[in-house]
Amino acid sequence: MTSYSKEVIADLVAGTLPWPQTRRIMSAYKDDDRFFKYVAVLQERVGWKDPILLPVGDHLFICQSGDERVTKCECGHSFGDYRRNWKLKAAIIVRDSEETLREIYPNSDLPDPDWMEIREFICPQCGTLHEVEAAAPGYPIVHDFEPDLEGFYRDWLGKPLEPLNKGD
Amino acid sequence: MDQITTNPIVIGIDAGGTMTDTILVDQDGHFKIGKSATTPKNEAEGFLASAEDAADAWGISLQDLFSGVNVVLYSGTGMLNTLLSRTGRKLGLITTKGLEDMILMGRGLQAWADYSYADRLHAVTHHHPDPLVPRRRTHGVTERIDQFGDVVLPLYEQEVHAAAKKLIADKVEAICIMTVFSHVNPAHEKRIAEICREEVAAAGADILVYTSHEVRPVIREQSRLNSVLIEAYATSRGRKQLKGIEDVSKKYGFKYGVQTLLSFGGLTSINHPRLHETMISGPIGGILGAAYVGKLIGNDSLICSDMGGTSFDMGVITRGQTRIENEPLMDRFKLNVPTLHLDTIGAGAGMILKVDPLTRKVSLGPESAGSDPGPICFAKGGTEPTIADCDAILGRLNPHYFLGGKVVLQVEKARKVFEEKCARLLGVGVEEAAEGMIDMLEADANNALRRVISGQGIHPSEFTLLSYGGSGPLHLAGCSRGIGFKDIITFQFAAAFSAFGCTTADFMRRHSVSTQIDIGAGASDDELQAFGAKVTGVWNDLTKAAVDEMVADGHALDKIKTVPFLMMRYTGQLEDVEVMAPLSALRSADDMRKVIAEFEAVYAKVNHRVSRYGEAGFSITELGLIATADKVKPVLLKRALGKSDPAAAHKGVREAYIGGRWHKANLYEMNLLQPGHEVIGPAIIEHPATTLVVHPQDRVHVDEWTLLHYTHA
Repeated sequence: MTSYSKEVIADLVAGTLPWPQTRRIMSAYKDDDRFFKYVAVLQERVGWKDPILLPVGDHLFICQSGDERVTKCECGHSFGDYRRNWKLKAAIIVRDSEETLREIYPNSDLPDPDWMEIREFICPQCGTLHEVEAAAPGYPIVHDFEPDLEGFYRDWLGKPLEPLNKGD
Repeated sequence: MDQITTNPIVIGIDAGGTMTDTILVDQDGHFKIGKSATTPKNEAEGFLASAEDAADAWGISLQDLFSGVNVVLYSGTGMLNTLLSRTGRKLGLITTKGLEDMILMGRGLQAWADYSYADRLHAVTHHHPDPLVPRRRTHGVTERIDQFGDVVLPLYEQEVHAAAKKLIADKVEAICIMTVFSHVNPAHEKRIAEICREEVAAAGADILVYTSHEVRPVIREQSRLNSVLIEAYATSRGRKQLKGIEDVSKKYGFKYGVQTLLSFGGLTSINHPRLHETMISGPIGGILGAAYVGKLIGNDSLICSDMGGTSFDMGVITRGQTRIENEPLMDRFKLNVPTLHLDTIGAGAGMILKVDPLTRKVSLGPESAGSDPGPICFAKGGTEPTIADCDAILGRLNPHYFLGGKVVLQVEKARKVFEEKCARLLGVGVEEAAEGMIDMLEADANNALRRVISGQGIHPSEFTLLSYGGSGPLHLAGCSRGIGFKDIITFQFAAAFSAFGCTTADFMRRHSVSTQIDIGAGASDDELQAFGAKVTGVWNDLTKAAVDEMVADGHALDKIKTVPFLMMRYTGQLEDVEVMAPLSALRSADDMRKVIAEFEAVYAKVNHRVSRYGEAGFSITELGLIATADKVKPVLLKRALGKSDPAAAHKGVREAYIGGRWHKANLYEMNLLQPGHEVIGPAIIEHPATTLVVHPQDRVHVDEWTLLHYTHA
């Protein structure tokens, strides 16, 4: 029932919508067609044509690339099949010493590097910082999220995805 | 009321967010009302249009109207709009070092006040109002005065010079000064102001300087800060709007100065030195009017309820006592202005109705369609169904008599949209859905009234409900059903009741200062006498200040009456009650005891007599003084009761949907109802500016003052 123009959604995504209007949208019932407008806005922002299926970060998307569904950076760099942890293909900076932690916390207390390290995941092509995680040293790289794309499109959006031609 | 021969002597005008209401009163208390849309950009236009509407009703020209009246009183929205649109002066702030971020942090509740319950719970929607001074134009200076008024750290004057120079270079239009505990000892604020004025003069600039202790010398620095900032920020435009009103009044022959209403219920000239005290004045008129009507009908426990397009305001007078709210909110800023207490919920005829397609949950508002675009039936571009549309669909509003026929309601259009957006989703008929929506609104208001009454600790059967506002009578039946009021009253002039209330006010000043006087439960005579002397000293200073201001406004000294008051509590409590002092000077221990006894009497009235607790001792947190001068007031005309058959006012029959089915409802013209008349529902009593719906078997009778009493079957 509720619906906003694509321009309004574009401003909302860009964070340029005036606050009172943003709050009205937040307080109202969710607009039915938000997801597709949102994706359309993002699609115009990226420089490539592969259809976006699901945004997974500010600059990171799952998209349909030929017969594959891959995790892709805004710059076009592909991290491979979306069901695999994209972080494993990223460039990683690990801050596990007082010296390296001090670089990002110049004026405040530091976590104890014996108990916690900070890992930054960066696109090897454009250098965008996609994700940061804090974990105990030795803990495997966290796989944040493996979406049930088919289920989401079929049950929640009411618009089932085209089945992939090839099996996995 | 039809054979008026005299001309009006008082014009009362109340500009609300949507409509500007006018009431004209003559020396015998006859009155007529007028209405027009509010024009926020230039309020004088709406003022004049509304006055003209009323003058037409009276049958005189604007020239005759303005040249004949003694008092023009206007309560407007100029300052509030300046604040809401953030178009006030460019400010700088000098404060105690260490408190510079106070302006950004504000009070926590300022981030969510006025929000719906759902939004309060969702912190993601919380948002502080934009500060009136940016952080970069806030300068801290080293100084400290403690709560006893002693200087702990001296003022570092070189820092003040530097801050003032910086603000002058930043081209501010006003400098505000607020230091902690300046209400106890303003020495540092005064010295900072001196230095600022020196620097301003040296730079040859034109910059105003405001200090918090002059604006409001009371405790709690966040509210004191907001008060001084808003005064500095919004008064110039607010005063300009008021000046515009005065100019057009004079153009049409008005001989005196225009008056405006103070938030604590008095009148003052538009040159009032603390204009922010007039910001919350609109709804206050209703409480004043209620107190006036209460005297007439001989009941001093009243609930007044004002339903307009957006909100439902409730004021309480408990056994003659009105509650004073000391820190009201204004555009989500906590202010330090004594205000007649009002409870408000979002409930009005303009509320937008929504049905969640997924859960079929119905919600009312909190958004209102306002007057522009307004409800769908206004056909001014509104696309969302509102309560007013439901009223139109159900035949409760007359499509050809809204605002006296100035707006023709497009019922079919409203019906179509309502069916599509609400009824169909709910899977019920249009009428059933529309009545359900109205029931929800009335249930909200009904619950709010019950809550307000139970907060008083007094049985509802002691209270008389006064219902007014443009949509008050329309939803009166549902709002009041089942509560068991002693009496329920509405008015022929319901739509302009707040404006009417304004005209019952006197000229007034209210000065006060925070104090810290703790009187032990077992204080000796000597101690009591010393406390009394201290109180009297403060009162004398305040009397002089208030009387000087009123004399400067042109009031004769011998016409000014002064009443001192105290804000008192049992020591250790968190809330004060306002006590009118029985004496103007306390010379002995017995005098002091009389004041304490008065406090206990008031406390027992407002709360309950068993809740008194003198063993804790007494604290005086604020001393103040109210100075008043009389003004001509409207008098409601008392007439003998006639016969009960209202045939003279009958004007037809209309189909109206009430209680699940269509009825043939009798239509009456409200202005033609005479004392003694009795109307039995189903009926609809119409007035150009309001509509009273009488449910089946309910009764309305008109008393000798021409007040309409509603009785549930």
